[in-house]
Formats: sequence, structure tokens, C-alpha cells
Amino acid sequence: MDDYKFLFKVVLVGNAGVGKTCLVRRFTQGLFPPGQGATIGVDFMIKTVEVGNEKVKLQIWDTAGQERFRSITQSYYRSAHALILVYDISSQPTFDCLPDWLREIEEYASSKVLRILVGNKIDREDREIPENVGEEFAERHNMYYLETSAKESDNVEKLFMQIAEDLMKQARTRDLPRYDSNNQTIDGRTSTINDSSCCSRLQ
Amino acid sequence: MTELKYAELQKSYQLELKKLEKEEETLVDELNNMLNQKTFLEDKIKGLAKLLPTLKVIKHEAQDLVNTVNNISDSSEKISGNIRSLDNARSRVEECQARVSDLIDLEICSQGVQTAILDSDYEKGAAHVHRFLSMDQSLLKRTANDMDNISNMLKSVRTLQDAASQLRAIVTHKFTEAVNAEDLVSIERFFKIFPLLGLHEEGIKEFCTYLRTKVAAAADKNLKSAVSTPPSDKRHTIVYADTLTLLYEGLARITDTHQPLIETYYGPGRLLAAISILQKECDIQTKRVLLEWGKTRQINKKNQMINELSRMSSSSSFNKLEKIEPKDLDILIVEITLMHFRIELYNRFIQRKITSDAEVGIPNQDDRNNILKSLEQLIKNSDLSQCKHELLSHYLRLEQYYMEESVAKAIAMDSVEMGQQTSSMVDDTFFIIRKCIRRSVSTGSLDGICVIINNACRVLESDFGEVLRGRLRQGYPSGYLDLTQAYNVLQTSIQQGRLQSGDTEQSRLAFLVALNNADSSTEYVDALCDNVLKEIEQALPNLNSNERGKLESCLSGLSSVTTNLKDIIEYGIQQLRSSAIKPRINPWVDQFLNMSHHLTDDELSAYEAGESFVQTLIMNLETLLSSFKDILTSANYDLLTQVLTAEVTQRLEKVIMKTTFNRLGGLVLDKEVRSLAGYITAATSWSVRDKFARLTQIATILNLEQVNEIYDYWGSHDGALTWRLTPTELRNIIALRTDFKVEEIRRLKL
Repeated sequence: MDDYKFLFKVVLVGNAGVGKTCLVRRFTQGLFPPGQGATIGVDFMIKTVEVGNEKVKLQIWDTAGQERFRSITQSYYRSAHALILVYDISSQPTFDCLPDWLREIEEYASSKVLRILVGNKIDREDREIPENVGEEFAERHNMYYLETSAKESDNVEKLFMQIAEDLMKQARTRDLPRYDSNNQTIDGRTSTINDSSCCSRLQ
Repeated sequence: MTELKYAELQKSYQLELKKLEKEEETLVDELNNMLNQKTFLEDKIKGLAKLLPTLKVIKHEAQDLVNTVNNISDSSEKISGNIRSLDNARSRVEECQARVSDLIDLEICSQGVQTAILDSDYEKGAAHVHRFLSMDQSLLKRTANDMDNISNMLKSVRTLQDAASQLRAIVTHKFTEAVNAEDLVSIERFFKIFPLLGLHEEGIKEFCTYLRTKVAAAADKNLKSAVSTPPSDKRHTIVYADTLTLLYEGLARITDTHQPLIETYYGPGRLLAAISILQKECDIQTKRVLLEWGKTRQINKKNQMINELSRMSSSSSFNKLEKIEPKDLDILIVEITLMHFRIELYNRFIQRKITSDAEVGIPNQDDRNNILKSLEQLIKNSDLSQCKHELLSHYLRLEQYYMEESVAKAIAMDSVEMGQQTSSMVDDTFFIIRKCIRRSVSTGSLDGICVIINNACRVLESDFGEVLRGRLRQGYPSGYLDLTQAYNVLQTSIQQGRLQSGDTEQSRLAFLVALNNADSSTEYVDALCDNVLKEIEQALPNLNSNERGKLESCLSGLSSVTTNLKDIIEYGIQQLRSSAIKPRINPWVDQFLNMSHHLTDDELSAYEAGESFVQTLIMNLETLLSSFKDILTSANYDLLTQVLTAEVTQRLEKVIMKTTFNRLGGLVLDKEVRSLAGYITAATSWSVRDKFARLTQIATILNLEQVNEIYDYWGSHDGALTWRLTPTELRNIIALRTDFKVEEIRRLKL
């Protein structure tokens, strides 16, 4: 079961109710649970995927969007390899909060973390944020951009597979720690020391 | 022609004749056979003739039997038909009886209920109504249709219906009166009547609403006494945790005492409804206590200050704002963990109670799942849980501040005692981190524990690790170390902050202590992970696999701090190599070049009698190593000797390649390499064979009697060595022997 070559931590953040848990459930279990209650603290899921014949284990941390859990969720930023920042394309306020989230990421996450902006709920008819607005925002902040629907399962697989592939590439060039199948104590952290050229992958 | 024909005919006739003769023979045989059987057959026929009359008798009897069976089946069909109609009749009679008894009861009840009400015997009245309600109302209606004097019966029904609503009103009213009068006996009395009148939900609602007032009154009193507790009281620091404890214990007691009552009179499976109502009061009272607590303990002000401090330290050097002394937060943090744990315990209590009530009282799986789902919602959506989350959030912020500030303090107050390998910051830091993690375990919240572990990880890698790395970055000044002096000066200068660049003695000691600190920290981290896991398993024994995964992931982050520390150690050792080892060793080894390696027999004995190159080298290495031996931890000392060995062997190899040898020169070299390897083996606890492999092989080559002797060692036979040298290298080395012929070396097949 533990015969994976790489282990990556992926953390989802964003306002309450934008569909973080649904994205994770859709990807890990293939479900869209309606009437999902608010997440308490952080949830934790694992899915092993295959990228170019290599097994990659994704540890997905699904954080609570509500303010009162912030001190819990913030502590997971530092060890993240990828951060998915989610907003709801049918809700302007969730988009307006993005700069606040970026500030948090700036403060707590490693500078090398892979950052992805996701506009969720594209199945909804009452879109408030046009696609190009989201795209421009992502471009301005050196992030990937993807629009998804956890309900219709649009782009969800693509989102996580893209992340897995990118982190693999990064790991190969940047010498992230490799995992032996028999090595249980794992170090998933990108070292914050000797931090040289960052963001080179984002071109 | 005719003759011929005749002959043929004759022949055929003869054949025919023969055939007929044969047939005759067989016929005669058969006839004989039959004749033989004749007697046997006659016997048989005689026997059969005897049987014939018996058969006739049997046939008659069988016919009789058939007739009898037919008769029986006819009559049994008749009987079963009778029974069926009897059954029908009986059930009709029963139904009739029920109707009659219903009617009689109806009559009795309708008569009794009024008198009961008039006599204020509500139990009796309610019992009548209960009887009435238990009757099948549609059946009553049918009975009414079948009867002649409908009006009489309808009257009774109406009377009872009226009585029921009358009783309901009365009981509700009386209950309220009893509540107002604090008449416990009456309260209980009417509480028991509600379900008789079909008012299960109302009864529970009324009763629990009454209980709420009791809870509220007690909570009010407790809060008042908490607020007025003098600071001198020894429980003053955790008085709000005590208040919450009283509240939850009170609620638990109420639940425990009234659960049997509810179960007896209302049936099982109704606890959720009761607790839902009590939960509202629990929410309100908890919020009140926490509000008062927040005011008294100035929690918002403290949070704000911590937020500001963290913002400032990260953005500017404006650091001299009045800081909160982490020690002052200690007590407050303990109080929060206590409060959080109390809430956690109360939630677990409710969960346990309702789950077991549902399991006993609700046989239907789906219904039970619904109850459990509503229970989950009740707990999740309660203000109590909200309060719990807020408390946890407070706790995490304060604990994070406490950990960071205390570790910063431990580092600032770092000191090293004479003869100690590590300084105080290691013990202190791990003491603090251990304490914080333990405290997080006492909240009972897995999420809380995970966050503190994450924070510990960050503090160890960033704050603590960076200080060690910073000290190592300052480098190790070359020169010898005078420990006694260094300890004395270091003491004062570490505390004053940066070391002066002139104080080389202390710089050296500070460097080595930092290296040791990193090494002993790796052990501390491993021990910490083990202990923490054990403690958590004890405190939270029922983790599911998902929660375990979460915890393990966070713990593996903590244990990987050792990787970071090992990087730091490696960095330090490389520093030592370039500043303390390399510059020292090179001149010692280079002495080799100043010696002649073309020795005569006389020179050889003279050389061996005097102080040889290797003796001097070993002496020097001994001095160098011994200056580090006591001050470094054994793991670090091993690392140092490894580095030293690598340096010595590489340098020696280099100078050998610059030298030429004769036979005796090679002999001496071989001896010297052996004794050097022997010395280093004795000085360390790891195997040096590998590091010496190339050097030993070089010495072996240079110690050959003849060129061709190399075949004893080269090749694929049993005596051959596993060579670390390439054929080219081997040729170059062998060529260093001036007494070997170039031709011979060239002819070597390697």
C-alpha cells in the first residue's frame, strides 16, 4: 500500500462555503455530498495517483473556511507543497477576499509553494465573476488558474493531476526528498533555508 | 449343356436338402426341450390355479378400502369447513366483545372522567382518556353505525373528547402552576400525566423548560460567586473553569436523574428531545460564563496585543513594545485548556447517553440512524461547540505566543557550564516544547494537538535551528583551543549577544557547543515524538483511522526536524574541516615530501631508530583530536574523525604521487600506512578500513619485490584484491618505483 515514490501535501483554503470539501470529496471518493455541513478544523484525505508510471501520494488537507478556525488552518500552510485557493464564481464576496488569503499565504507558507487559484461552481447559472477576471487575478499573482465544478465533476481530476505532475517536475529538478517505500518517517517539507531562485516554475 | 444344368441343379438340391436336414435336427432338439419343460410348466400352472381365488378376495378388499378413504375425505372436508366457520364466528365474537368492552369502557370512561375531573383525580381522568385514546377510533365509528342508539354512544365519545381537551388544558395549567409554586411533587405528578393524554412532546417540553429554569438559577448563582471570588482564593485562577464544571455537572446530574423517569412514563428513545431543550440553556449559560471570563481575564486585549506584536516583529524592528511575559500567560492557558476539556467531556457525555438510549429504545435501524444524525447536528450546531472552537482558537494563539516567546527567552538566556558539551538552550527549549504539547493534549482536541505539533516543528526549524546555524556560520577560528579560558569568557559574552570577533577562544567553544546542541537536539526530537505519541494514545484512545492519519502526518513533520538538524551538523562539520582540520593537516602530511624515500639498509635502520614521519604525524593528529575529544559529543567526534581521516588519506595520496621510491622506501611506506590506519582505528568507534582502502592498495603496490608480483593481487583468482584503483592509476603508481623497469611496467596486462 505504501509503495509510492513521492508524497505531496496539498492544502485547500478559501472562504466558507465555496466548495472546498466538495472538491476534495469529488476527487478522493467520486461523490458530491449535498447539504455538506461546514468543516470543523481540518479534514484529511489521501489519494494515490499515477503520474508517468510513478505512484504519487497526495495528502489533501481540507481546511475550514470559517474565521474561528483560522489558528488551526494556518499551521498547515508551512508544510504544504501546493496551496489551492478556492472561490465561488457566483459569489463576489468570496472573490473579494482573495487578497486577504494571499496575505495569509505570504505570511505562513513557504515561498516555494505551488499556488493555484480555483473558481468553483461553474455549474451555476448566476455567475458573478467572469472567467477572464479570475484569470487576470491569477496571472497578476503568479498563480495557475482553473475553473471547476465539483457537482458536475468538471476539471476536478485535472486540477489535482496537474498539481501532482507539477510537483513531480519540481521534485525532480529541485531535489525534494524522495520517499522509499519502506521509509515511514517522511519529510515532506521544502527547506526554507538556502532559498535561492523561487518561482522559476511559474513562467 | 443340359447335363451341365442338371449337375448344377442337383448340386443346389443337395445343398437345399442339407439345409432342411439341419433344420429338422434343430426342430427335433427344440421339441425335445419343450417336452422336457412340460412337467415344470404344468407345475407352475397348477400353482397359479391355486392362487386365483385368493386374488379375487384381495381385489374385493381393496375396493372396500377405496370406498372408506373416500368417505373419510368427504367427512373431513365437511369438518374443516365447519371449523373455518367456527373460527370466523369466534373472531367475530371477539371483535364484538372488544367493541362491547370498548363500548362499556367508553361508557364507564365517559362517566368516570367527569367525576374524576371534578374530584381533581387527574390520574384517574387521564387513565380514562388514555383508555379512550387507545381505542380504535375508526372501529368506534363503525360500531356506532351498527348500533341503534347512536346518539348515546356518540355522546360518550364527545364527552371523552371534551374531557381529553379539558384535561389537557387543566394539566398544562396545573403544571405551570406547580412550576410557579415550585411544587416539586405536583410537577412530577403532572409530568407523569402528560403521556397519558397523548402529550408526549408537550410533556417533555414543559418539563425540560422547567428544568432549564433550575439550571439557569443554579448557573446564575455559581457565576455570581465566581465573579466575587477574591484573588487571594487559591482557585481564583481557574474559577471560571470551575464554574463551567459546575454547570456541566449539574446538567449531567439532571440528565441522569430524570432519564429513568422519562423512560418509564414516556418510553425509551425520547432522551434526544429532552437534551435538545436543556442544550439551549447550556448554550446560554456557557456563553455567559465565557463572556464574564473574557472580561475578567482581558482575553481580547491580550489577543490583540499578541497579534500586534507578531505583526511588528515580522515587519519592523519596532520590538520594544511592552511585551506580555509568557510566564504570565501560563495560568490563563491552563484555565483555557481546562474549560475546553470540560466542554469536550460534556459533549462526550451527551453523545454516550443519547446513543445508548437510541440503541435500547429504537429497534428500527433507519430511525436510529436518524436520531444519531440529529444528535450530531445538535452537537455540531450548538453554541456550546461554537464556544469550544473559540476557546480552542484563543488557546492556540496564546500557546503559540507562549512557545515562541519562551524559546526566544531560552535562547537569549543561553549559558554553558564548565565541562558541559551542550548549553542550556537545548534542555530549556525542549522542556518548553514538551510542556506545550502536553498542555495541548490536555485540551482533548486532536486538532489542537496537531496545531501545537505543527508550531513546535516551525519553532524548532526556524527559530531554534536558525540560531544554531547562525552560530556555526560565524565559523571556527583556526588555532588551538584553550578550554578553561574559553568557558569563562563565553559565559558573559553569549549573554551579551554577539561574540566579539577577537575572542577566538570563545568563538571556538561557542561553535563547538552549537554543533553539540544540534546533535543532542536530534536525540531530543526522537524522544519527543515517541513520548508524545504515547501520551496522545493514552488521552484519546478512540481515534479512528482518519484521525490517526492526521496525527501521524503531523508527527512525521516533527520527526523530520532531525533532517534539518543533521543538515546543520553537516554544515558545521564542513566548517571545521576547512578551518580547523585542513590547514593543520596539510603541512604535517606535506613533510613526507621532505624525506628521502630511496633508502639504503643503513639509512633504513637509522630511520626506524629515529622519529619517523608517521610517528610525528600520529602525534600531531593525537594532539588535534584530543583537543576535541571531550568537548564534542561522541557522534560529533566520530564525524570529525571521519572528516579528518578523509583529509589525511587524500592528502597523503597526493604527496605519495609526487614522490619516487626504491624497494626499501616502498617497504617503509607500507609499514607507515599500516600504523597510521592502526592508530585511527583505535581512535574511533567506526571502521576505517574503507577510507584507507586506496592508500593501503597504493602502499601494497609500492612494496612489491618485482613488477610481476602484481599478478598475485590483480586478476580474477582467489587471492586477488577488490581494487579501488583503475589500471591507469596502478601503472602510474608502480612507475613511482625507480627500480622497476619501464619496459616491464608497460608489458603489464591489466
